Amino acid sequence: MQTDSCNDPTDILQEALNADGGEHVELRFHSKRTRSIAVEKGRVDQARLAEHAGVGVRVQSGGAHGFASTSALEVGAIREALDNARSAARASARKDSVGIGDLPPAELARGVFEEAGCHELERRPIEESLEWVLAMEARTRAASKSIQSAVCRYSEVFEEKGIVTSDGAKAWTRLVRPEFATSAVASKDGDIQRGARSVGATGAWDCLFRRADAEQFSEEAASMAVNLLRAGQVAGGRKRVLLSPSLVGLLTHEAIGHTVEADFVAAGSCAQGRIGEQVASELVTLCDSGASEYLPGAGGTLAVDDEGILAGRTEIIRAGVLNSYLHDRRSAAEFGVTPTGNARAWEYDDAPLIRMRNTYIEPGTSSLEEMIAETADGLMLDGPKNGQADANGEFMFGTLQAWPIVNGKRGDLLRGTNISGTAFDVLRSVSAVGKDFEWDLGSGHCGKGQPMKVDAGGPWVACEVLVGGQV
Amino acid sequence: MAHSTQASEVRFDGQAAQEDQSSHAEALMRAALNAGAGEAEAVAQGSQIISVRFEGEELKLTSADFGSALGLRVLHDRRMGFASTNQVGTEARERTAQGALGLAKCSPADPANVLPDCHPVTRDVQACDDALSDMPVEAVVGRARDLVARTLAVDPRLRLDSCEVVLRRGAGAVHSSAGVEASASSTSMSLSLFGMAVDGDDVGGFDYWGGHALDVPSFELLAEESITHFSRAALGNLNAQASESYTGPVLFSPSAFMDVFIQPLVSAASAIAVQRGRSSLAGKLGQVIAADMLNVTDDPTDRGLMGLCAFDREGVPTQPFDVINQGVLQAYLYNGYAAAVDGVSSTGHASGGARSVPGLGAHGLCVGAGQGGRSADMLKHLDRGLLVGRFSGSVDPASGDFSGVAKSSRWVEAGAVVRPVRETLFGGNLFDLLPQLLQLSSEAESVMGSARAPWALVDGLSVTAG
Repeated sequence: MQTDSCNDPTDILQEALNADGGEHVELRFHSKRTRSIAVEKGRVDQARLAEHAGVGVRVQSGGAHGFASTSALEVGAIREALDNARSAARASARKDSVGIGDLPPAELARGVFEEAGCHELERRPIEESLEWVLAMEARTRAASKSIQSAVCRYSEVFEEKGIVTSDGAKAWTRLVRPEFATSAVASKDGDIQRGARSVGATGAWDCLFRRADAEQFSEEAASMAVNLLRAGQVAGGRKRVLLSPSLVGLLTHEAIGHTVEADFVAAGSCAQGRIGEQVASELVTLCDSGASEYLPGAGGTLAVDDEGILAGRTEIIRAGVLNSYLHDRRSAAEFGVTPTGNARAWEYDDAPLIRMRNTYIEPGTSSLEEMIAETADGLMLDGPKNGQADANGEFMFGTLQAWPIVNGKRGDLLRGTNISGTAFDVLRSVSAVGKDFEWDLGSGHCGKGQPMKVDAGGPWVACEVLVGGQV
Repeated sequence: MAHSTQASEVRFDGQAAQEDQSSHAEALMRAALNAGAGEAEAVAQGSQIISVRFEGEELKLTSADFGSALGLRVLHDRRMGFASTNQVGTEARERTAQGALGLAKCSPADPANVLPDCHPVTRDVQACDDALSDMPVEAVVGRARDLVARTLAVDPRLRLDSCEVVLRRGAGAVHSSAGVEASASSTSMSLSLFGMAVDGDDVGGFDYWGGHALDVPSFELLAEESITHFSRAALGNLNAQASESYTGPVLFSPSAFMDVFIQPLVSAASAIAVQRGRSSLAGKLGQVIAADMLNVTDDPTDRGLMGLCAFDREGVPTQPFDVINQGVLQAYLYNGYAAAVDGVSSTGHASGGARSVPGLGAHGLCVGAGQGGRSADMLKHLDRGLLVGRFSGSVDPASGDFSGVAKSSRWVEAGAVVRPVRETLFGGNLFDLLPQLLQLSSEAESVMGSARAPWALVDGLSVTAG
């Protein structure tokens, strides 16, 4: 199979589609081509081209789902995979099975959907990217004598999908997701500190470097590592904090987004049975969207989900009231609602799961300066590390940097820490929402059995959380 | 890959699968050399995977899948390029070879870009089981159904977010122009349980457990242990209360001890981390870095661990390897590249799959048991304070700083658990704290099939309660 930029595969899928009476079939061609470069301390650790392409087949038959795949975009191979998926579904069905039931009505996608940037990045030779990454890494390492090592990574993932379903979806989508990350390790007197900046987008470099260019990211990573060497520790306890757009993104993704994924709701998450309830401050409207709202190029952007549904915008919380969960077609049928276009699969040989796309808090009216001035005793936090949410809504995430705020004035840099809280309690504590919006979680992946590219963001937000630190 | 095409009639022949993958790796390596590469290393992997996933009590998906991956590392005048594909035809092979060679030609030269020499692989891990080789889809579905039913029968308050049983059958091969020719096949069955307990309005924190087994009797034992561990943790998380802030000793479960201390410690013992100036263990070979009760070995011969292997990602034979002995750092871990930088031999720690350049990592870490008695005795050693069941947080292996939330965790008073805790953060620096290791339990336990470790009592942590 030729996996360079390919022709519309949906006619082949349509020809292979062979549904028995009463069963629902989804055929999804998915080609992923990756170009990635990683340089550390002047040495090329990774100069890589990767292709992974094929057709995933999911069949709903006899009250169960079966899945199989083939690496060949050929009618015969797809039909063979279809037989395997059908056999798997039938092996799973029980005589007493009540079945999945009819799928709910949905806005099925038909046509060609192409995000900007594919052609522009395809034209850029990888040799140029390699030279550029080497230069960026050298620049980061040269920023200070305290820097011991620097890493610079750049990748581009070109994705093409063709989706055909037995109930009428027929869509071809194309997009590219570039990602840039740089980090520096500084040391002094046996102390080692790390600074890091990263960015990911859907689109070309105008989206990737919209907020800052690569040189600026490199300088910020280096200065962060050096400045953290002389930074003090945060004092732990419950505090009022100002969260940066990247941390608001982590909050919306980890603390809220996962708990409203319908599969997690059905299992008993803290969001179960709370639609219509006031769960947050009236200042909070929280959404998940397949589009890149407010600013172009968010890293989780997609026009069509992996069940062939148009990926629209879902208001999860509207003015503090829980309004919707995130659904695939099956969960929508179980909950009696319309699918929200959240079914996503990592690669062709993965079956779709309910996943977020671009998750965010809508901007409010406060400026950052006003929010700092209104804080008598608190912290300003920036720089996301990892995060995790629990079924009971308890979440944690790590921050790279912190600054104390005392009597409305920002103090000197402190080392990052971890913060925790209970999702809806923290959202109820929101006392101000900034007016300047950023997407800032487009690098890295969300993990839920399969990795997934998502993005998240919002404006600066003031709220109350538990801060880890010295006691 | 040797297989029939009907999912319900899957049969696996390990020897034939090994031969298939060897021929794919050999052909890809030849394609690179024919394209003009100076040196080449090809890896081929093929798998049959049957997975059954339940969400709640409902069977969500059964998948019967065949996959393959081919990876090619090309060295040309000490310049490196890499390409991978999941297509096995001639055209894809040639495209992959041209891609890797093209990248190599535009990369800067690095004197350490050499392929490891050939060392014969003399150990056969014998990881193919007849029953697993013959197991049909229906049998995997049946085992998953049984696992769900037995788990939910423990207590009506238990909820399963997901339960998965996965049967894996596969083979892999490495061929290089330096003469490496290694191949292996394996079968295994793994399970995972993920969920929580719900009692009225009280939703407990989630927990998960699982592991993998090389044969059916071992899978049965694993299922029993996993149900016990998961249900005990999930039910124990109900009615969580506030804990207390303090600085002092904390008791870690084997899983939390691995996540907070041992995995980052061994990452810092990676020769590449040392060479690149991002390891606190640089210059500390032969020095005391932890309490003398700490022994850490990487054991690729442990049949209970997923890292069981006879050779690494570069085809270098593996063997048990001491990292820490009586608190003293014994050695750094090397793959071929790091070994060439230091002018030594690889220790067989090249890691990763066919889709990326070889990395560097341990196979199956085993922390030696201590003399602290059983887990109940460890509670008595703690007397009063925090027991961490699961760590949700971050560790910087360079600095050793860590901070995170104590999940599935308990408050201990007078040597006994008195309540589950919520919103409790803790932190410290692992390099500062390892010398303050107070006790290790007398038995090391499997940590979901990836490692073995005892319970550990460590002094000097900062605990912040909500």
